[in-house]
Amino acid sequence: MQSSLLGSRSLNSYNRAMETICIEGLRKTYRIYRKREGLKASIKGLFRREYRTVEAVRGIDLSVDQGEFVAFLGPNGAGKTTTLKLLSGVISPTSGTARVLGHIPWRRENAYRRRFALVMGQKNQLWWDLPAQESFRLHQQIYRIDPHDFATRRDELVDLLEVRQLLGQPVRELSLGERMKMELIAALLHSPEVLFLDEPTIGLDVVAQHNIQNFLRYYQQLKKISILLTSHYMKDVVALCNRVVIVAQGVIIHDGSLAGIVDRFSGHKVITLQFADHNLPHDLEKYGEIIEEQPPRIKLRVEKQNVTSSLGAILQRHPIEDVSVEDLPLEQVIAEMFSIARQGHPHELETSSTSDS
Amino acid sequence: MNEVQTDTTREQIHPRPDYGRVFLTFARNSLVRDMTFRSNFIIETISSLSWMFMNLGFYLLIFSYTNVIGVATGWTQYQFFVFFATVAIVNSLVQTFFMPNAQEFSEMIRTGNLDFALLKPIDTQFLISLQKVNWSGLGNTGFALLLLVFSLGKLYSEQAGFRIYPIQMILYPFYIVCGITILYSLMIALSATSVWLGRNQSLYNFWFYITNFSRYPMEIYGGPSGDARRWIGQSLKSFFSYCIPVLLAVNVPARLLAKPLDPNNLSLALYAVFGTVVSFSVSRMFFYRALRSYRSTGS
Repeated sequence: MQSSLLGSRSLNSYNRAMETICIEGLRKTYRIYRKREGLKASIKGLFRREYRTVEAVRGIDLSVDQGEFVAFLGPNGAGKTTTLKLLSGVISPTSGTARVLGHIPWRRENAYRRRFALVMGQKNQLWWDLPAQESFRLHQQIYRIDPHDFATRRDELVDLLEVRQLLGQPVRELSLGERMKMELIAALLHSPEVLFLDEPTIGLDVVAQHNIQNFLRYYQQLKKISILLTSHYMKDVVALCNRVVIVAQGVIIHDGSLAGIVDRFSGHKVITLQFADHNLPHDLEKYGEIIEEQPPRIKLRVEKQNVTSSLGAILQRHPIEDVSVEDLPLEQVIAEMFSIARQGHPHELETSSTSDS
Repeated sequence: MNEVQTDTTREQIHPRPDYGRVFLTFARNSLVRDMTFRSNFIIETISSLSWMFMNLGFYLLIFSYTNVIGVATGWTQYQFFVFFATVAIVNSLVQTFFMPNAQEFSEMIRTGNLDFALLKPIDTQFLISLQKVNWSGLGNTGFALLLLVFSLGKLYSEQAGFRIYPIQMILYPFYIVCGITILYSLMIALSATSVWLGRNQSLYNFWFYITNFSRYPMEIYGGPSGDARRWIGQSLKSFFSYCIPVLLAVNVPARLLAKPLDPNNLSLALYAVFGTVVSFSVSRMFFYRALRSYRSTGS
């Protein structure tokens, strides 16, 4: 069940020049001091320490082409942010290789650092007490952006994000959404070819999220840059990315289209039935699990291969006014995937993923 | 061959940052920030100045009992005030340019904000060490310079044969810079330890204990001749002159002006240059070693 996008990607992969990011067997493990509860245990810990190894990333392989907008999805602690940090050279891996634009990120070469940007929703890089425009000017000097290019790009970005009147306000006085816009401008001033976005819409209200999504979509299509985005909000992902990489417990369990996730990981569909009156028949459970009952409507979760037969049988036996068949909501499918992964069986999903591609 | 060529073309498209201009922007941004919090700025300036006045008062008190520190050491009141002014100049410059940054560095490691510094296409040590300037520290520098000029004037008029030659005027600022570099190197290396020590812990505070030794003329460590406890002072003196050369940071420039004829000056001055180069190189190695071990934070 290979999605069309995966197909087109493998076509592209013949052309190595298009490949922007190439990751092979990337692993990152941390040694963490395990602290037990209580004072007595703490004192014991002074003399004998117990360490625990945390495998944040456990062997990731990924290839991203120029101009792709890829979403990294996964539960908290799945290794998404760690992967972005590895790719931006903030930390070094335990093993494995990665090349971004032909550079090994953790060598921290200036030639590489001029060509990408990282935006983190949880952290800010602008000078807190100064207006954003002062930080922009500093960026111009650090990246040595040509003054003319700098002015053009800044004005373009400022107008797109509608923040012109906020440029002179100290960053600490901006709202979270406004600050995020400024962070994005700061990150894009040097016109990076690769952009890493770590939860750029975290904590924003719906309008602000929507603005940022629109901006990212427009900008990405305009500049054809490669973007890797992590987010908890399905809306971000649906709005922006046609390729989704799902990470859980440090491994990739799915790489393909969003629609592909539902096809692959959900064996069920939801049938909604609307009856003529409030007396619902009692034999519906044999067709599938009842997930919602609001007479005269009822929602059933039915196995995919039984949808036609069940529906036929129901329509034959009962007076039905309206009917609809839908996929399970994406969030729900992904939540189920995550919970399987969390129970410690990511390999279950992993094998199903490798058999697919 | 090919690869080298593409690299040079890339360098041409993206030239190195202009470090001087970047530093001026750091300094300017810091000034803008300091001016925003005006009262804080004034309070900081006054409190550090008053710390200096208190110290000066303390030494005036000592010189009301004696007119020289130690027998035949040559540290009379105004010679000592030249020394004291040098201490203040070196310390206030370290305070102005490096102290807020070294402190922030430990904090950045702890909070994970170092991430952004590592992304910038500029020398990371430069960025970390100089991005904030604490302008209120310069009040002390100004006052110390006045004290220096005043004390030299006093020596010139009251001490027979006291002269200041142009070479001293050139070497003094040079050794001030060396002294600052030595103290800075120690400071940045100590604060980098928080990469390994982890949360909230660094050896940064240790800097204050160690540099305490640099605040006095080195003759103090010699002790009176014939004393059985001389070895204590001598070993302290050797350790802080040759291993961790903080003792040279102030002593070398101060002696140059206050006691130009001392026979030890030449060897000390030569070693100070060597010590500066070694301190800075070691701290730079240490700094980059620490960055390689940086783990960032959870989110």
